[in-house]
Amino acid sequence: MARDRTTDVLVIGAGPAGSMTAKWAAKKGARVVMLEKRQEIGSPVRCGEGMSKDWLADVGIRPGRWVNLEVEGARIYSPSEKVFEINEKQAGNEVGYVVERDEFDKQLAIDAANAGVEILLKTSAVAILKEHGRVVGAKIKQFGEPYEIRAPITIGADGFESQVGRWAGIPTNIATRDMDTCLQYRMTNVDCDVRYCDFFLGRVAPGGYVWIFPKAEGLANVGIGVQVSQVQNPADARTYLDRWIDKHPGYAKGKKIDMVGGGVSISPPLRQTVADGIMLVGDAARMIDPLTGGGIANGCIAGKICGTVAAEAAGTGDVSKEFLQRYEKGWRARLEEKLYRNWLAKEKLVTLSDETFDKLVDALAGVKLEKLNVHNILKAVHAKYPEVTKEFEAFL
Amino acid sequence: MPSKKSLHIESSGQLCIYCGACVGICPLNCIYLDETRITFDEGVCTRCEICVKACPVGAIEIG
Repeated sequence: MARDRTTDVLVIGAGPAGSMTAKWAAKKGARVVMLEKRQEIGSPVRCGEGMSKDWLADVGIRPGRWVNLEVEGARIYSPSEKVFEINEKQAGNEVGYVVERDEFDKQLAIDAANAGVEILLKTSAVAILKEHGRVVGAKIKQFGEPYEIRAPITIGADGFESQVGRWAGIPTNIATRDMDTCLQYRMTNVDCDVRYCDFFLGRVAPGGYVWIFPKAEGLANVGIGVQVSQVQNPADARTYLDRWIDKHPGYAKGKKIDMVGGGVSISPPLRQTVADGIMLVGDAARMIDPLTGGGIANGCIAGKICGTVAAEAAGTGDVSKEFLQRYEKGWRARLEEKLYRNWLAKEKLVTLSDETFDKLVDALAGVKLEKLNVHNILKAVHAKYPEVTKEFEAFL
Repeated sequence: MPSKKSLHIESSGQLCIYCGACVGICPLNCIYLDETRITFDEGVCTRCEICVKACPVGAIEIG
């Protein structure tokens, strides 16, 4: 086709991980084209919009108008609604911002564009191009018109429902116990507290949690994640969320103004995220934290490494999977240990009864922890309910 | 050969919110999301019903 073209790095998907990868590849001197299938980057939002903030400076993201509000802490509610409050210091800045996610994604795309990235909107990848077993670009459709973009390096940043990895032959399948099905309403006229992000654990959300992330006084994202393997009937996510809202007068009186859904992986990361000529990043690489369901920070941290390696590979002309181990090793060194630890913790937590959750939260509610980590938590629980910590011996 | 059960994805927008949860979990990669249209490959689908559970709003029926 006449419009066929080439570039150094082709990034498929303009979410946070894609934009971050594209930006860093361009900053390191590569020619970069980034595709976005939608007409508007960042919209519609598919996100709870809670985000930690300690990692932002490291990857070159500055707070901007995408910061909706800054919370002081998180509150964990047990099934009988005992509360354990985590302040920002204890959590190691794990809690932080509630964001305007569409603005955030746009800001990262603007940063990428300013670094020299060319962005194609309303453009989907429909297949990857392979030669001698190596990925050499993608077949795309721009405004419905098909053509090819050839590139020594292709990046799959196409999110939870990633096609690129599957096309490239990288195993990305997930088990039903490693996925949460999620639904969220934006609700107005509710009794939320703008100082806290709230989490409700136990049978109210089997294998997940209910979240309240405040957007303003009286306005909040009210959502739920349910482990797919624990779904009994179709639409359980909606059924459980509606039930939770009905039982909480401060939310039952609210009005829904928006609704979003989606899948969140709560799996260990992929065993392999590179092949000849291709790398996967962000949700497509299953980098979502399996305990919290948060994916933005990990996607951006890995994106910086991915973009840097992409530019190096395109520069040297060596795009073999051996060379791309620099990315594979780089992101694993930074993220893998915590991903596995949190996956193990998730595997344990989903087996707990409401009674055990109540004891856990009750034991923690009464003590002041300097630093929140597994050891300190278990010590505190052991002091009050020694029988409960028996279930967690593997973590000590 | 027993005939396959019918699978129906309500993707006219009455139930479906185009979130992609079914697409992501399909073990055979036979569900496609194209902005506001969801289709599946009748020939590849084994009616494993995992997508039915993954859908947060109950837009997929197998019967």
